[in-house]
Amino acid sequence: MATAASATSALGPYLDCIRVTLTAAMCLQNFASQEVERHNKPEVEAGKNVELLLKPILIARNEKEKFLLEGSINSLRISICVKKSDDLDEILSKKFMRFLAQRAENFVVLRRKPITGYDISFLVTNFHTEIMFKHKLVDFIVTFMEEIDKEISEMKLSVNGRARIVAQTYLQAFLK
Amino acid sequence: GINAEYGGIKHFLFDNSTTTMALDISRLAVSVTVHAWDQDKTRIAVSPNNSEVHIYSRNSSGEYVLEDMLLEHDSIVTGIDWGHKTNRIVTCAQDRNAYVWKFEDGKWKPTLVILRINRAATKCKWSPKEDKFAVASGANLVSVCYFEQDNDWWVSKHIKKHRSTVLDIDWHPNNILLATGSSDGKARVVSAFVRGVDNREDIPKSGTAFGSKLPFGVLLKEIDGIGGWVHTVKWSPSGNRLGFTSHDSTVHVLECGSTTHKHHNTRYNGLPFRDFVWVSENSLIAVGHDCNPALFSTDGNSVSFVSLLDQVEQQKKAGGGTARSMFENMVDRGSSGAGDSENTLPTKHQNCIVSICGFGGSPTKISQFSTAGLDGNVVIWSLDNLKSSLKITVA
Repeated sequence: MATAASATSALGPYLDCIRVTLTAAMCLQNFASQEVERHNKPEVEAGKNVELLLKPILIARNEKEKFLLEGSINSLRISICVKKSDDLDEILSKKFMRFLAQRAENFVVLRRKPITGYDISFLVTNFHTEIMFKHKLVDFIVTFMEEIDKEISEMKLSVNGRARIVAQTYLQAFLK
Repeated sequence: GINAEYGGIKHFLFDNSTTTMALDISRLAVSVTVHAWDQDKTRIAVSPNNSEVHIYSRNSSGEYVLEDMLLEHDSIVTGIDWGHKTNRIVTCAQDRNAYVWKFEDGKWKPTLVILRINRAATKCKWSPKEDKFAVASGANLVSVCYFEQDNDWWVSKHIKKHRSTVLDIDWHPNNILLATGSSDGKARVVSAFVRGVDNREDIPKSGTAFGSKLPFGVLLKEIDGIGGWVHTVKWSPSGNRLGFTSHDSTVHVLECGSTTHKHHNTRYNGLPFRDFVWVSENSLIAVGHDCNPALFSTDGNSVSFVSLLDQVEQQKKAGGGTARSMFENMVDRGSSGAGDSENTLPTKHQNCIVSICGFGGSPTKISQFSTAGLDGNVVIWSLDNLKSSLKITVA
């Protein structure tokens, strides 16, 4: 099982731990609902039968960056809290996550609403693992987490850059 | 026969050096959930992860031809068992129904079984004498069905005793005891003695290892100490051992040759197993989310992991230039180039293996076995070749 070292060495152990936990939790199987006949629901969302749910696992890098994994016999819910160092980061990440979540159908495994207390959530069901490679799904989630940080930093830089240009151009008018 | 629309049957024969451990790999569907062979292993019934059951015939050179499609079910077929003595197939599905199929006039004809369950069925198995069969269900019970001659239909009796979905069942060779595995984390042994079908004389005078009073539905043993859902239970060929696997990647064996029982287990260092088969009285091969069959052996005092069986090809792929490995990829996996080799797994199965059956040899000494997985591949393995190429002994 390959453990990819991430670009930022600081994130390495965090992402390795997530990768291993995800691989173990993604052992899903088709399971018809015990509550409603002829139904097939993701048990982690239905939550009615305790024996079908696994203990949630929280992997936290610090109190701001967290990764919650709730597993069950046929589905897996992943919730992520991204790093937000200041107010601008908070606004950017909130808007970015909302943008992604509203297009959840295109991402297939994305959940439309994040779990309370988290920025974004995924729902992986046995139907996804049947048609997709499991190790690629895990790769997707881990790469997603790496990319989010990069994207938000880039956005912050570009926001600050644009703000500076706007301010300069505006104040030019007041110079003799 | 019917073909054409299912003409996309890819068939790969491994280039035969002296040791071909996989006799052939065939992709019979996008995804296969259950498979069952007939008596002489020339026909296979598979379910391609939907409500259909496909019957293929396999000739000696390993080519599959679609013969028939059994289309009675409304939702995903979860269990198929082919009775070798009577040549009847029993199928069950998530639509709460089971059908018994008989081959008449060149076609398979279904008979509905009155299961009286109000949730999905998860597995079905003929008893050793094939006069009854058991169906496990999400209604937390097992339905034991037998044929009522007067009314000309199959009727059922329920075994409750479970607190969650029953995931697997297996009949003891004595045609009376039934082992069950459930998602409440327990394995159980219950009695499925049906008056009118079974005789009191079938129970030995000294009693079975689980007692001599065996009225229908009585819970004879509830096995604790299992850390997770019990995915599969199987009696060893003699019935003196009961093996089962749980979701914490543990393989358990209950020694039950006498009335004192001993429970051994071993934790496997990988992903959980979904199914296994006893290849002899002392060895079993388990398959699951690692996509790699694993051999375990037991000696009465412990269970231990011996070896993973899908290994040799990885070493072969390591050497050789890129051009050669590209062509090997095209031959072996039908993929078009080097790009695909990063995505595909090095094992024969590309997704979880969900089903394993003995294919050749006798039940006490299986020489070949077949596996089916969610990647749609049905692979037939030669245990004899594996033994020599991996230098392992099967006890």
